Amino acid sequence: MLGKMLFIASAIALFTASVLAQTVTPLNFKERTLANGLKVVILQDNSSPTVSVQVWYNVGSKDDPQQKSGFAHLFEHLMFKSTRNMKSEMFDRLTEDVGGENNASTSDDRTEYHEVIPSNYLETLLWAEAERMTNLNVDEQNFKSERDVVKEEYRQSVLANPYGRFYDAIQKRSYAVHPYKRPTIGNIDELNAASLEDVRLFYKTFYRPDGATLVIVGDFEPAQLNAWIDKYFGRIAKPEGTIPRVTLQEPPRTAEQRFVESAPNVPLPGVALTYLAPPSKNADNAALKVAQAILSGGESSRLYQELIYKQQIAQEAAFLIDDRTDKGLLIFYAIAAGGKTPAELEKSILVELKKMQSAPPSAAEMEKAKNGLITEALSERETNLGKGEAIGNAVIYQGDPAEVNNSIEELRKVTAQDVQNVMKKYFTDTNRVVIYYQNETATETTK
Amino acid sequence: MKTSKFKIIFVALAFLVSSFASVAHGQTETPPKPSEPHVATIPTPVEKTLSNGLRVIVVERKNVPLVTARLMIKSGGEVDPNNLAGAADMTAELLTKGTKTRTATQIAEEMEFLGGAIDSGAAWDFSNVTFRVMSDKLDKAMAIAADSVLNPTFSQEEIDRYKTQTLDELTVNLKEPSVLASYVANRVVFSDEGYGHPLSGTPESLGQIKQQDLIKIHSSYYKPNNSILIIAGDITPSNAFALAEKHFGKWVKAAPAEAKMTTRVGGHISDKLNLDKITVVDLPGSGQAAVFVAKFGIDRSSPLYYQLTVANSILNGYSARLNQEIRIKRGLSYGAGSSLASRRDGGIFTTRAQTKNESAAEVAEIMVHELNRLASESVGDVELTPRKAALTGNFSRELETTGGLVNQISQLALYNLPLSQINSYIQSVQSVNNNGIQSGIKEFYGETTAQIVIVGDAKQFLPDLKTRFPSSQINLIPAAELDLGSAMLRKSK
Repeated sequence: MLGKMLFIASAIALFTASVLAQTVTPLNFKERTLANGLKVVILQDNSSPTVSVQVWYNVGSKDDPQQKSGFAHLFEHLMFKSTRNMKSEMFDRLTEDVGGENNASTSDDRTEYHEVIPSNYLETLLWAEAERMTNLNVDEQNFKSERDVVKEEYRQSVLANPYGRFYDAIQKRSYAVHPYKRPTIGNIDELNAASLEDVRLFYKTFYRPDGATLVIVGDFEPAQLNAWIDKYFGRIAKPEGTIPRVTLQEPPRTAEQRFVESAPNVPLPGVALTYLAPPSKNADNAALKVAQAILSGGESSRLYQELIYKQQIAQEAAFLIDDRTDKGLLIFYAIAAGGKTPAELEKSILVELKKMQSAPPSAAEMEKAKNGLITEALSERETNLGKGEAIGNAVIYQGDPAEVNNSIEELRKVTAQDVQNVMKKYFTDTNRVVIYYQNETATETTK
Repeated sequence: MKTSKFKIIFVALAFLVSSFASVAHGQTETPPKPSEPHVATIPTPVEKTLSNGLRVIVVERKNVPLVTARLMIKSGGEVDPNNLAGAADMTAELLTKGTKTRTATQIAEEMEFLGGAIDSGAAWDFSNVTFRVMSDKLDKAMAIAADSVLNPTFSQEEIDRYKTQTLDELTVNLKEPSVLASYVANRVVFSDEGYGHPLSGTPESLGQIKQQDLIKIHSSYYKPNNSILIIAGDITPSNAFALAEKHFGKWVKAAPAEAKMTTRVGGHISDKLNLDKITVVDLPGSGQAAVFVAKFGIDRSSPLYYQLTVANSILNGYSARLNQEIRIKRGLSYGAGSSLASRRDGGIFTTRAQTKNESAAEVAEIMVHELNRLASESVGDVELTPRKAALTGNFSRELETTGGLVNQISQLALYNLPLSQINSYIQSVQSVNNNGIQSGIKEFYGETTAQIVIVGDAKQFLPDLKTRFPSSQINLIPAAELDLGSAMLRKSK
């Protein structure tokens, strides 16, 4: 998930805080759809005088033009440049300069823009978000200087980070045909290939009200807010035609594949085992999230206890769910302890996998996993920004804001048997890609 | 997930809300004006000192059923004995790795069963155990935390395991240009003083630390009358005080060891940065260069604190000068900023950015230019007003979470500042004007010199660096010869 300024070195390190819980009060939001197709979700909370405004677009790096990977993310940066009625960086004037903040992020399936502002600026920001939904007007100079910024972002996250090329390789090697195989950040050559004409076309194609969800959380008066939404977003015309969608399906894997990747300045080698996951709407995801907590949630988790604490072969070990609207990835990932090899890590990971497949987790492990997930969900709900993000994610990945509350119930219902079943179902030998990552001057040959 | 590095880098620009105008033909619009602001309330901390001297501070907030709690010892990495860099951090990290009645695994197991996580470690000026749980589980969680602080065993097996893990982490950090540059900046600013070494130690010092050293740090500094317990979230003060008494009431009071202090003599005024030598660490093959300007900072209790905090915000933040010049105008970095880390006994001021190797010298030059401009040109209200708003906005947003509340209160309590400053912070920032910034910066620049530190693929920027800084001495150190354990930064041959 690459953003305007939130830099996440590891694309796979997105620990999606799952929402489950006994004591989580449901978020009492209201939703409607405008005539032009814009979805609107609002959640009132007057406890502090701030409000978060968010726009979630159904476009991501899977929609990058051919041979121009990294484009959707570059485009996200350009959304902070000039529009018909705003100078470049005007969003910073309307947020940062008055004590608020703004940011944005791009991932494979979606691009989101958000602000947190003193609530007396709500009308101003609604106007501004509507303005950049319709009147973006980037010039050549802005385009080029911002492209240079994104190239530095690439160098920082991929080239200067000792494990940057590892995360890049995990994306590239894990898909055969789906556009998910192209990392969101792109690469220097393909960023250089992008033009201002591409910007105009991409904007026209994907940035339209029927491809977006407006989420407002915080200090407002509902009748007043709805009147402003109608005034500024309601006047945007319903666009003609439909938005083109990726229809390519990633085929099931039929045999294990193995890769060795090398890079300079890699201090300790690493290994990743990836498996194709079900799409984010699939009901199996609740059990997979509980499995993730059992394998990888904290220092009492199985991977930490075995690979890091007892065997001391890993400096880091984790199991991650890279949730996507099409088939995502289930990723085991470890960085070796000094003197240990990727082969040793792989072997121990597979032993832990086998344990999950051969017996259901204990009742205590199930309770611990669920308690951890509840606390995470609560913590996300401490801020208006966090609540809005939980709603936005439910819209994009579950197709329904109500899932922000339902998914808690779904997690609560997961049984130990469900966990064992999903571990058997998805983690087959033929559904595995194995990537070894090592220093390019390493003389030993890793199998 | 230790390798995920969430680096939020703020950067900047400065024009005005009222100055935008339309470029397009035809009809134009201006954004709707803000309405009257709604008033924010900042919670008021309440406190009590137990009979053993433990200071307990509580902030009640009810919106989410969570509590964050931190037990803080008022001594950290600065008390590491000579040649034992990392000992205080190792002591604090190992608190949660075994007590008289719980193994490391049991501590993690029990805390995570409560839905929480327990973290311990040392920073500069303090060591701490921090945890966050649902409020109905606070009693059980605090029992585990108290056991960790009062009864750690520092077993040899856990010491060995910790050393191996920390060495591996260091191995990774030494390949990251910005992390390495930050270690080097500490050395060039603090030399062999308390804040000069890497907080978690060096490969050499880790090997020297023995069980006895940890026991000694624990018995010297871990005393209730050298500690503060901070609890924020969904709990009443009376319940929180009762839990503090229950779990920490029997902790025995004793005179803690005196922390060592050094002082600097300033008193000069300078209207520009006094640039000392440039330190370059050559990391061949590095994908970017990290560029820092580093200078001795100020105490947290310094009378210049608010003036320099506002001055720093002119440089640091998305729309502040460094990001404006380096990222927004020139596209030279993903983000550039500065920080003013103010501690008990001085501190460190740095500017920082990562850029492609060939731009390193240009970025250093821009940084020095901007630092000088801050002292030589007055800051107009059209720039100052939004920067102060950004600063107070960041502060208010941090207080939205129980973790943020605990962080802010920790800083005030640690440095014996009135807790009421949490309520007066915004006012203190607002009262700084251009004169205050100018006088503060000139005094600051007069105190000590500053140094440039660059870590990257040196052959790609050295010639340009010599051209742009012809009068500066350049100390070039190959990464393989770097010794962070020494004020000289070089391994002895």
